[in-house]
This record gives sequence, C-alpha cells and structure tokens, in this order.
Amino acid sequence: MQESLFSFLGENLQLFLTYTGVYNATPGHFIMIAVGLIFIFLAIKYEFEPMLLIPIGFGILIGNIPFKDAGLQIGLYEQGSVLNILYQGVTSGWYPPLIFLGIGAMTDFSALISNPKLMLIGAAAQFGIFGAYVIALQMGFEPNQAGAIGIIGGADGPTAIFLSSKLAPELMGAIAISAYSYMALVPIIQPPFMRLLTTKKERVIRMKSPRVVSSTEKIMFPIIGLLLTCFLVPSGLPLLGMLFFGNLLKESGVTRRLAETARGPLIDTITILLGITVGASTQATQFLTMNSIKIFALGALSFIIATCAGVMFVKFFNIFLRNGNKINPLIGNAGVSAVPDSARISQIVGMEYDSTNYLLMHAMGPNVAGVIGSAVAAGILLGFLG
Amino acid sequence: MKTIRKKTGLLLLLTLIFTAGVQAQRVTSMRINEVLVINADNFVDDYGKRSGWVELFNTSAGTVNIGGCFLTDDRNNPKKYPIPKGDVLTRISPRQHALFWADGIASRGTFHVNFVFDPDKENYVAFYDTDGKTLVDEIVIPAGQKEDISYGRRVDGLEEWIYFTKVTPSTNNLTLDTNEKLDNFKINDSWGIGMTLSAMAVVFIGLFVLYVIFKQVAKLSIAASKIRAKKAGETVLSDGGDISGEVLAAISAALYELNEDVHDIERTVLTIQKVKRNYSPWSSKIYSLRENPRK
Repeated sequence: MQESLFSFLGENLQLFLTYTGVYNATPGHFIMIAVGLIFIFLAIKYEFEPMLLIPIGFGILIGNIPFKDAGLQIGLYEQGSVLNILYQGVTSGWYPPLIFLGIGAMTDFSALISNPKLMLIGAAAQFGIFGAYVIALQMGFEPNQAGAIGIIGGADGPTAIFLSSKLAPELMGAIAISAYSYMALVPIIQPPFMRLLTTKKERVIRMKSPRVVSSTEKIMFPIIGLLLTCFLVPSGLPLLGMLFFGNLLKESGVTRRLAETARGPLIDTITILLGITVGASTQATQFLTMNSIKIFALGALSFIIATCAGVMFVKFFNIFLRNGNKINPLIGNAGVSAVPDSARISQIVGMEYDSTNYLLMHAMGPNVAGVIGSAVAAGILLGFLG
Repeated sequence: MKTIRKKTGLLLLLTLIFTAGVQAQRVTSMRINEVLVINADNFVDDYGKRSGWVELFNTSAGTVNIGGCFLTDDRNNPKKYPIPKGDVLTRISPRQHALFWADGIASRGTFHVNFVFDPDKENYVAFYDTDGKTLVDEIVIPAGQKEDISYGRRVDGLEEWIYFTKVTPSTNNLTLDTNEKLDNFKINDSWGIGMTLSAMAVVFIGLFVLYVIFKQVAKLSIAASKIRAKKAGETVLSDGGDISGEVLAAISAALYELNEDVHDIERTVLTIQKVKRNYSPWSSKIYSLRENPRK
C-alpha cells in the first residue's frame, strides 16, 4: 500500500517536474530574459523611453518563461490563451491606429502650421525607410520583408508594428523591438551625425520666432491633412485617419472630454497592452535567429540614413532661402518622428553651440511632419507590397 | 419647432443612409459563385453521394445569415427551395462559401435543395432574398456541360465566368501560389531604386501640397487678423509672427525644466506615529449619494 503510494507520488512529482520552467529552459530563454532585463534597466536607470521599454522588457520576461507545450493555453501563440487574445490587437493591427488617435489628440501642430515649409523636412527624413529597404533587398530579404524592415527608419513604433503585421508578420517581433530600441537610443545615435554634417556657422543659425496660429487654422489642418494624404495614399487611412481625428478632437474645442480620454487613459491602456504583448511575442525560439540580427543592423542603418537625409535636406533647402529665413540644419534630424525625443536632441545639440538659441519649438515642426510622413510612407509600402 | 423638424429630418436621413449601408452587409452581398452540373467522379456529400452543387459566396466583410432566403432553378417559382432558418451553419462568415447539393432530396438537410440539374439542357439558378421577391443573384449555366468541370466566377464574387477543370467547392475559385506583385518587384526592381524614387516622390508631393495649402492659409489668416485688429483699433505689430511674452515665458520655463530634469530623491522616514484623522470620506454620506443632474 505504502509502496504504491510512494511510487504514485514519485510519478506525479516527475510529471510535475516536466512542467516546470527549469526543466524546459534552453539557453535561448536565458538570453532573451537577459535582453528583457537590459530593457528594464535602461528604462529605469537612464529613463530611455520608460513608457515603452518597461512594458516591452517585462513582456520579454513573460514571453520567455519556458513551459511544456501541453495545451494549457498559457502561451502567446496558443489560440485562446489570455495573452493570445490580447495579442490579436497587434496581429490584426488595431492597437497602432488607437495609439495614433492618442498621438493626434496630444500633438500640437502649431509649429508646423506656422512654418509649413518644415513639412518638407519630415518628407526628406523618410529616405531612411527606403534606404533601409534597398539595403534589406540586397541582404536577401523578400520585397515585403524589406518594406517592413525599412519602416523602422520612420522611427515610429506603432507604424512599424502596423506595417510589419501586414507585410511580414513573421518578423514583427524583431522589427518592433528594433524600432523601439533605436527610438530609445536616439540621444546616442543622432548627435554624432548631426555634428558631422554641419558646420559651426550652420549650427548657430537663428530661426524666426514662430507666429501665433489661429484656432481656425488648427481646425483646418486635420481636415485638410486627412483629405489630402488619404486621397493620395488610401492605404494609410487606418493610421492617418485616426491621427487627424484625434487632432480634430483636440483642436475643435468642443470635444475636450473625448480628446482627454484619447490622449490619456486610452493611449495608456493601449500602450500597456501593445508593449507587453510585443515583448511577449519575442519568444527565444522565434526571435533568436540570424534574421533578427540583420534586422537590428538594418534598423540602426535606417535611423542613421534618416538623420543624415533630414540634416542634408535642410542644408540643400537653405540654398534657396533668403538670409533671415534660413533653417538651422540641426532640426533636420527631427524629421524622423520619434516625437518628441528627436526634437529635444535638436535643442540640446543646438544649445551646445549657442546657449540662447532655442530650437525646440522649430524642431517640433519637422518632428510632427515626420509622423505624417512615416504614416504616408507606410501606406505606400502597404499599397505596393501588401 | 422648425429646428426640431430639421433635426428629425436629418436624423431620418442619417438613419436611412446608415441602414442602406447595413443592407450592403446583408444577403445582397451573396453571390452564386460556382456551379457543377454533372458530378461523375468528384466531390461527395455527407451521405457519400455525388450530385451537382451550387456554391454561394459572401462578398462582404460581415457575417451574413442566409437562413430564410431562397434558391431556385425555376424563374416562375422564386421560393422553390427555402433555406431553413435557425441553422447555425447558414451564418456565412466574411469572404466565405456555402455549398448546396442539387440532389433533389431536401430532407437530407439544410444544404440539400429540392431540385436537380438537367445535364442535357441549360440550367438556371437564382438566389432570392428572404421576401422571395428581391433577386440577389442569378446565373444561366449553358447547355452541354462536361463531367466534373464546373462553371464559376474566375475570381470569387467578380463578374467574369469561366470553366474550371480543377473544381473548387467551398473554397476560393482563384488560389495563388505566388504573389504577383512581389514577383514583379523582384524581377523589375531588384535594387529597390524604383520603389524608393516613386515612394519618396509620393511622400514629397503629399507634404508639398500640404505646405502650399497652409502657406496660403497662413497668408489669409495673417491678413484676417490684421483686419480684425484694425477694426478693433489695436496696433498691428510690424511682424505679425511674433509670439507673445507669456508664451515665450512658458517656453523658457519648459526649457529650464527640461535642463533641470533631475529628480530629487527625498529621504523617507519610517514612523510609527499615528496620524490623527477625525474625518474620513468613507464615513461621509455625501459621497454615497448621487448628485442631482444639472440641466
């Protein structure tokens, strides 16, 4: 009797052991857990995009807890599991447009409206996307995969997730992690190239103060912006539609509560869900591949190309502008979206050379134009390659 | 009163437009998609029998319930086969298919109609809405059909009808094993230069047009503000683009805060001293009562 009880308990214990994380762990799981911990460390210690890196970092930990595939419906990729249900917002692409709604409701386009020529900088910086696309093709990626990788250069996490979920879902985890990592590393990546491509004289150019923009102009902007961009690139509708809708909620002045919800609780909720599920999607077996390493390299390249394209475009543009109307090329980097970090970089680098030259407001122009530009670029890629 | 009438009219109009949109997601979205008249050595039904079949396709992005609609092979009898209501299988998912067996034995189930095809002459099939009057779709299958070759739309839901030697019951008529778009890009634009140039051109055009429009809007806005200021008897600044002192002060304060963005870590002290609190909102009645709605 006792013997059978002990053997029964022993068998059960053995079975239980096969279910533990320790039993199912592989070196890949530990590598990914280390990556997650690095993300959390960077977010807390250096405050690199903490709102994103903490959910993503913790998501990586969640996604890399090893377990036995026994149909317990616990893993992100198991249909019907809680994580899987939350992940549907990513796979079916409805988290990013909701984030764009919030971004629209919190973005002030005044800087852009007061000096509309800054929009062109936002367009020029999108060269990073297509530069990376060209290189990705040469590295052997399929055109749809190259398009999804290239969008990292747009420096816009939701856009990157939206496009990659449509064009190359198999690469989405690596693309999202890469995009958010480099967005967090904007303060490290951009300044050397900004200094390299500008002269001391150019760095101290003072720009005219932006004029006060009327509320009518602010209301007209999202309406005209939507009609124009979406008539041109209808495939950008999910992102641009929500971006401009959010902005109209903000600027109309009569939907304050809706705007506050969109830029507050709604975007926070979606950011949490998006971050945690994207992080959890990076399971070692899916993520630790040569393609991921290539994507990280391409992501860095796309950021560099975008920064250089923005700065160089301003220098080129200045040739045609009269003295007094010239643009400080240090705001060229801000065309890569990454709102508002890249605009802050313009300000910080600018102040190194002239402590009374405030570029932040000017840099916000190309910065928000970059958001529009990257969404348009995503629409084009989706239209061509989807 | 007039305003109320106007509002009611507007509401009715919107309701009409909205319901018209809803209708588009209903049975009117169904299409007869593929028909096999002579089933000699092909797909078998649940009873292991072979017979002709009709495939319907839901062209919409919403689920459509075809329960209560009608299938017929007789122009004079639109209600010949009423599709039973209450069967969960008659809810056709978006872009999905439903297959009906033309075996003439309706007692075999929802998807067995009470007519058969005549292999010697042309056959007519129609699908009617639940009222039995509204024709949703119809097709005449030419006479002289061959065994195991179906007649269907080249692409699901589209107009062109062709013969299929490879029949596709309950699935897409056109299945792709390659992506034509991507293949074209691979062949014609292997370096990605064409894509880069065309896409950058589109991005630039989009933002350039936006720039042109808002340049003009800005001019109009400045002119309008000058006129308003003149009317009000205010002095117009030579440079209308100046920012007010308060805004500049706010920006400066924000920049100062940015530069001083270092948090003080305050010392925390653990104490056991009891905090005296005579009043607690938990015990207050006012928080548990609803306020009267304000008009």
